[in-house]
Amino acid sequence: MITTRKAGYSLTHTTVVETLFNDILYIFLFFSLYLEVFFLITFFEERLKLSTKKLHEKLSYYPSTTIIVPCWNEEKTISKTIDSLLRLHYPKNKLEIFIIDDGSTDRTWEVAQKFVGNPQIKLFHKENGGKHTAVNFGIENSKADLIGCLDADSFVDKDALHEIARAFNEDRDTMAVTPMLVVHEPKTILQKMQKTEYHTGAFLKRMLSPLDAINVTPGPFSIFRREVFAKIGLYKKAHNTEDMEFALRMQSHHLRIRNVHTAQVYTSSPATLYKLYRQRLRWAYGTMKNTLDYRFMMFRREYGILGMITLPISFFGVFIFLYNFSFIAFHAVRSIADKIVQIATVGFMSAIPNANSFYFNTDFMAILSYMFLGLGIFIIWNGVILAEGRFRPSSGIFYFILLYGIVAPIWFIRALINVALSRESKWR
Amino acid sequence: MRAKIETKKYVLAFVITATVFFGALMISGRFEQSRLAEVKSVENKISLDILSSETQFALLKESSCKAIDHSTAFSEELNSLAQKLAYMEDSLGEKNEEVISLKKYYSLLQIKDYLLVAQVNEKCGVKPITVIYFYSNKGDCNDCKREGYVLTKLREEYPELRIYAFDYNLDLSAVKTMKSIHGVRNTLPALVIWDEPYYGFKSPEDVEKIIPELKKFREARDKAAAEASATSTKK
Repeated sequence: MITTRKAGYSLTHTTVVETLFNDILYIFLFFSLYLEVFFLITFFEERLKLSTKKLHEKLSYYPSTTIIVPCWNEEKTISKTIDSLLRLHYPKNKLEIFIIDDGSTDRTWEVAQKFVGNPQIKLFHKENGGKHTAVNFGIENSKADLIGCLDADSFVDKDALHEIARAFNEDRDTMAVTPMLVVHEPKTILQKMQKTEYHTGAFLKRMLSPLDAINVTPGPFSIFRREVFAKIGLYKKAHNTEDMEFALRMQSHHLRIRNVHTAQVYTSSPATLYKLYRQRLRWAYGTMKNTLDYRFMMFRREYGILGMITLPISFFGVFIFLYNFSFIAFHAVRSIADKIVQIATVGFMSAIPNANSFYFNTDFMAILSYMFLGLGIFIIWNGVILAEGRFRPSSGIFYFILLYGIVAPIWFIRALINVALSRESKWR
Repeated sequence: MRAKIETKKYVLAFVITATVFFGALMISGRFEQSRLAEVKSVENKISLDILSSETQFALLKESSCKAIDHSTAFSEELNSLAQKLAYMEDSLGEKNEEVISLKKYYSLLQIKDYLLVAQVNEKCGVKPITVIYFYSNKGDCNDCKREGYVLTKLREEYPELRIYAFDYNLDLSAVKTMKSIHGVRNTLPALVIWDEPYYGFKSPEDVEKIIPELKKFREARDKAAAEASATSTKK
């Protein structure tokens, strides 16, 4: 970040308004830094527990488990999803799989017929009613100790259930376990970007776990104790982010949700910007609406870090993100405009910046940005280690740092507008 | 049931955050100070250069002009200083006391250099081309930024050109005198070339038209370059 100004004589001037905007930014940056430091302290407290899985170690008890696979027009991926479940390292008599066709209009039901006769698998067909109705149907038909769900576009690692069952065995109070989500075979630049985003998310989720501050039990392979549904009821319609509403409902009843990073689940990610936009708009909108619905937990100490940190970030984070984004965008546009004027005036060759250490930007804001970048890389680094066992540099990290700040405002802004107008976002 | 977070942890996080935050503020301040010090030392060097040239000129006053090496008589650092000062003004704000004081000193050095050049010019018949430039950064001069780019480019292209830049609004009597001597109105940007004021934006081509000598300099340079490349191909 070398800022150079060859224009010797002409200068910009700071206005009072600009100073005010700067001050607000400083406050936001202070809070963001505080949060990062808080997570880092948690990381140092937790780091000994972040070991890799203890392979082939038998469990003292294998709880009976039902995995529900709700499908709606998933003819292409359903087989692969079921196959990955059948390959799980888990006693066959303890694991049953419910394939629930939620009124698909394609060949999903026909494709699923090939699993008829497998003693582990039960097939159900129902009228279309939305994903949560399919999952509820499965829950009502299950008698297992643990009940979970796997979206038909995701695949599980063979040790995932074993690791989750162990977490349930180790802590009687754990009521739900979420896995680590990993992007499956990223191909496009956006998918590679999402891979790093998921790594970052995985790290933060893992840090939120011991703080009892997880606010979503994602559709792919979150597993619950059966009694949870008896206590707080089934899934209900909630802004197309039912998995978030359910987690918040659990939290409001002080039911423990833990994240087990050694249980990995591979999920497909949107390949194009439009698909990504649709998905994230739904998430961002759902996050804000559900947080509003459960706002009674916000800033209440009895709900711990969830009330003090996760929920406020879920709601206000969008504003802070957009504020910081517009600040950076404003300055970027201004310096690009200056550069264009310079090139138009004296030509391209004379506008090349001179690399003199004198012009290296050491403004307070610049030093803070270097630090945020450093902390960000530290988090990505540890996210990769959490997911892959050791750090490997990848193009995804580059794309994430470069692109995420540019694409994310697209859905954040739209989500804000939709929240303001109370306009529901579609599933697809 | 819920994990209890000790107050100690909240406090520790706060202390670390505050340390880092204000540490960054201090580091940034330290860097600014060292930049100011660098500008100050460049100014001192220029002042020394000028004093040395003045002394040399006084000593040789009565004797031959040939003894003065015209290529080194004038300080070359005025150019780079202009850019550094502009950068400081940009990052610290034009109201910063230290920046203003450095700028005043810089303006005085420019005037001294200008006088020295004029003196050598008169005695020895050497004729360096001088451009006096008045600008404003109060936001009332839209073209000053562009004119700045033009002059920086000209300065790089023609080292023979001596450009003196003054903030029209600088509260310094010597600068005010410069304004009144050349009768410069508050219509900026303004250039004074050979005692003649020109107002409004002037492109590099406009300036080259006003100073036809610049063309000769360029032709001479192109010729020398062509000859150099010819000799090197011969080898």
